[in-house]
Amino acid sequence: MTLATAARLHFEVIKPKIGARILNSREELLSGALCDEINALLEERCVLVFPRVDFSDEDQVRFTNLLGGNALEIRGEEVFKVSLDKAVNQQVAEYLLGSLYWHIDGTMNPVPIRASMLTAKVLAPEGGDTLFANTATSYDDLPDAVKAKLEGYRVQHSLWASALYHTPEPSDAQLDDWQSRGEAELPLVSVHKSGRKSLVLGNTAALVIGVDYRKSAQLLHKLRNFATSDPYMYRHVWTLGDTVMWDNRTSLHRATPYDPDCGRMMHRTILKGYEAWEA
Amino acid sequence: MTVHAATRLVAKDIKPKIGARVLNTKAELLSGELAAALRELLEQRGVLVFPKIDFTDDEQVAFTRTLGAYAAETPDGSVSKITLDLKENPAAAEYLKGSLFWHIDGTMNGVPILASMLSCKVPSPKGTGNTGFCNTYAAWADLPAERKADLEQLRVMHGVWPTLFFYEPEPSLAKLKGMQAIGEKELPLVWKHQSGRKSLVLGCTAHRVLDVDAMQSAQIIHGLREWATSEPFSYSHEWSVGDCVMWDNTGTMHRAEAYDPMCGRMMHRTKLEGEEPFA
Repeated sequence: MTLATAARLHFEVIKPKIGARILNSREELLSGALCDEINALLEERCVLVFPRVDFSDEDQVRFTNLLGGNALEIRGEEVFKVSLDKAVNQQVAEYLLGSLYWHIDGTMNPVPIRASMLTAKVLAPEGGDTLFANTATSYDDLPDAVKAKLEGYRVQHSLWASALYHTPEPSDAQLDDWQSRGEAELPLVSVHKSGRKSLVLGNTAALVIGVDYRKSAQLLHKLRNFATSDPYMYRHVWTLGDTVMWDNRTSLHRATPYDPDCGRMMHRTILKGYEAWEA
Repeated sequence: MTVHAATRLVAKDIKPKIGARVLNTKAELLSGELAAALRELLEQRGVLVFPKIDFTDDEQVAFTRTLGAYAAETPDGSVSKITLDLKENPAAAEYLKGSLFWHIDGTMNGVPILASMLSCKVPSPKGTGNTGFCNTYAAWADLPAERKADLEQLRVMHGVWPTLFFYEPEPSLAKLKGMQAIGEKELPLVWKHQSGRKSLVLGCTAHRVLDVDAMQSAQIIHGLREWATSEPFSYSHEWSVGDCVMWDNTGTMHRAEAYDPMCGRMMHRTKLEGEEPFA
């Protein structure tokens, strides 16, 4: 007689205010039995690292969907190839330059994706680390007086403002293209259904509405610098086969610069979101 | 009896709408006899090139003084050294990063400098470190009449701090505040010179057009920069050792093209005081 032992979640915390490493095997992860715990841990830790789990595309899509994924990538595929190589991603190479600055995915959508998952297929010889910052624990640690001040602030977000980070002297045609993607007004502090609060920042955050634009710049850059400071920030140095997943609503992320022609290749899947930035 | 032949200006246009090469000898230039003709030509052509004229520092200062009021930049009134090399120029290297983007000098001053003169002491490797110029008189003159009517009365807020975002879009709060402390200046988009001629006032200090929304403001600033720096109105000077180039700061924008900060590129600069305010 065989006794089936239920798989248990094995993990270690990376830093007190961000990150956990999950040490279960690929088979255990793909069994689906750990999904509830993994989802809960994602919300708690913001970033989950699956060291050298070596997911195939099929594994990654399956795991994503087991966690409640069900979202297609930006070009309608299940897996999106993240590369600055123009041969791989002719249209998006410019767009991905924006990924070198702190950002949140989906600030142009009322309902952002819940999470993203990246698997390292080809590493950059130099650079190409991915940095994550926890915008929930950093918000929690703000002094009460600052929290009170931020309450009710609303921020104009736009893709075109973020594009000026990497292309400060655009052509008319570039600017038209970027501006055609619209703008969105979001709360500076997002209140989740769970009651948690997090900062909504990043390179799309252009202007705090109703605040002098010089003060607005000070506030947005100050908060980003705080949220991305060491206690709240995790730098993932990739090993081939690593998968990293992050809660998109409570984090900022960015890549460190790397040679666009070096062949660095990440495969990304996304988890559909069900909760808007604001109720 | 000796007949003294008056020195005549010998110059050739570089492109129909910008630039002239001045082919007189160094002695002729230093005599001061050509000063009035050079001033006239400078305003007409925007940029004057003195190929391989090989001015010493003293000669450059003396020549500058023949053309107007000398604007001393150093305690002893000698040339200032323009380089990105931190060893030569620890304080200025940061500031000069902004020089890689199209700009007008002195938009923070009521009366911007009239002209600058650069002598090439050490060029950067060929294909890098050219200086680009564009003619903002000619660019304005060639706009369609209805576009001119839309633009003619617009006012633009300029500041040094907006230039920071061109090369460092995620600044520290201290740096941002430091640059904001330099102040701002409201300027006309179209400068009506005392001569009756008009030129565009643009560049990386131009932060926003007043009384239009942010998107439209960006379209005006970036659209006009693209127009003014387009091929017919622009000239890119590839430096040889000994070249001296002078430009009318009131009717041009300029920028340095990218080069390796450690390559040793060294320019010596002199300036002429401004003679009329933005109006």
